[in-house]
Amino acid sequence: MKRDASQHAAEGAPQLDRRALLAGTGAAAAGLLGYTLLGQHAAEQSVFIARHQRYDGPLEQTIRDGLLATGFDPAPLPGKRVLLKPNMVEPTRASPQMTTNPAVVLAAAEVFRRWGATVTVGEAPGHVRDTEMALYESRLGEALGDGKLPFADLNYEEVGWVVNAGRRSPLPGLFFPRAVMEADIVVSMPKMKTHHWVGLTVSLKNLYGTLPGCKYGWPKNVLHHAGIPQTVVDINASLPKAIAIVDAIVCMEGDGPIMGSAKPMGLVIVGTNPTAVDATCARIMGLDPSRVSYLSLADGMLGPLAERSIRQVGEPWQDVASPFEILDRPHLRDLQSKRPGVLTS
Amino acid sequence: MTWIDTTIDELAAAEAWSYRAGATPATEPTALAALTLGVHGRTEAAERASRWLVEYQNVDGSLGINADQDAPHWPTSLAVLAWCAADAAANGSPRYSENIARATRWIDSVGGKPAERTADLGHDTTLIGWPWVEGTHSWMEPTAWCVLALKASGQGEHPRTREAVRLLIDRLLPEGGANYGNTWVLGQLLRPHLEPTGVALLALAGEEDQDGRIAKSRAWLASGLGPTTTAASLAYGLMGLAASDEVPRQADRWLADAAVQTRTLVGYQPRLTLLTLAALGAECPLITLPRQKVHG
Repeated sequence: MKRDASQHAAEGAPQLDRRALLAGTGAAAAGLLGYTLLGQHAAEQSVFIARHQRYDGPLEQTIRDGLLATGFDPAPLPGKRVLLKPNMVEPTRASPQMTTNPAVVLAAAEVFRRWGATVTVGEAPGHVRDTEMALYESRLGEALGDGKLPFADLNYEEVGWVVNAGRRSPLPGLFFPRAVMEADIVVSMPKMKTHHWVGLTVSLKNLYGTLPGCKYGWPKNVLHHAGIPQTVVDINASLPKAIAIVDAIVCMEGDGPIMGSAKPMGLVIVGTNPTAVDATCARIMGLDPSRVSYLSLADGMLGPLAERSIRQVGEPWQDVASPFEILDRPHLRDLQSKRPGVLTS
Repeated sequence: MTWIDTTIDELAAAEAWSYRAGATPATEPTALAALTLGVHGRTEAAERASRWLVEYQNVDGSLGINADQDAPHWPTSLAVLAWCAADAAANGSPRYSENIARATRWIDSVGGKPAERTADLGHDTTLIGWPWVEGTHSWMEPTAWCVLALKASGQGEHPRTREAVRLLIDRLLPEGGANYGNTWVLGQLLRPHLEPTGVALLALAGEEDQDGRIAKSRAWLASGLGPTTTAASLAYGLMGLAASDEVPRQADRWLADAAVQTRTLVGYQPRLTLLTLAALGAECPLITLPRQKVHG
């Protein structure tokens, strides 16, 4: 079967897998999550913060409490598919603060399994093609074995195409792997980190890792060329079935998301609206969410940034805030919410 | 029966080759299968794999990633290598010359998107190699694969090949090793990884550099491989070393252990294929094909 590649060569040109694995990425989730989708996120959202958390502590209870406290309804979950998406961009055992700790992933899996869902863990590491290595270096592989959890290598699965619902970048659509397309809920499970280009990476940016390297490259340079802030919003707008559970127990500051230093915070942050979760994380890190490019683009479209629109559950963010070191670079200087005053004497 | 025999039997018996059992047949696993099946004398199965690649070659010479997705086209270079291997084994009766010619013309027609040099990035952003996806920057592995394909097809001295070799050397880290293709970013030196280092050293076999980064990369690779190295990283790492006849004495043991371990994960077939290629040592076609054309 010879085909004329010129008809489809442009990245993003609509193509559908002949196996018709497209089941739609939002319809089922809208009912499950109990909120309406795109354009309706300006309403108040809840974000749960738990402090004094440890990787060997009762994380399952914390996550369950957090989900229930932020309005998550587990009743429809039996028989549904939940995809847990940790961050394993470029794992190395030398820098565990780079990747989501396996204990948090296992705890979340147990929460959803006890609620009757079928749970899969999936990731498309952005910088490495050897996903087995990523599992080994992040220690997630052995944890998945212990927890009898299946893993989906999102870099190499069959793909389906969806219209770009965000329309902030020029990409007409996005390719998602089978496990993402078929999930009823995608749980973004990032590590709370600084990011040397866009300030911070938490639950919205973590969904870069739902896009397959086989279509976008290693790194996913198609997205970079289309605009990082714009594509972060586009991915999340096109995948309106995500909730967030953030590993902020040991975080990364400085030259994140790869080369930064560990910053212990002892937090787990949970919410059904990733934008509200990320805005809260930004405040905790000492960043002004409205100055973070992709959060600004998401404001009102994917969720709220304003404090008055985010109901804090558990600990107030002010009580746990601790400014993160960020690189002293021109493009990052304006992100901080409280700049030191100019020395006058 | 060794793990190699078992793997080759499985590959030969497969109806098609994909990233995981039952999934859409894909170009990269098929090209790798063609390479190892041919070396192991499974001529019929190797031919079947090569013909699959012909069937899915686009009109412009490129190949997409699988039977359903005719873009992006980064696996085109792998198909060239598979066809070159088939023709090299054809005793003077090449069957894929036209496919190779069209594919290499396509390779020559595309390149990574250069950028003005900036202090934010350590590498020479003006050098042009190959991208994963057209319209984006040049990166390590697609560039290395295209260099191998061009060398294997007798175009080792082509200006595009030579520029790409310079790019690969430029992207090696100062103390050795490579990652996906960045060296310094915003003043920070990045970490190397085994797999891209191995692929880069395959493409750089026989090349020389001014500041010893190739030798340092070999040394880094030799020190980084071990009994817990995962399959793809181990396979490419060993191939990268074998390209300069530096195979660690424990290689066979590591390969056998990796073969057992990788079978515990979904989608193991392409990784096992890589292990069988690495087990060939210096006789791996990814080493012999470019060498024959350049030096023979």
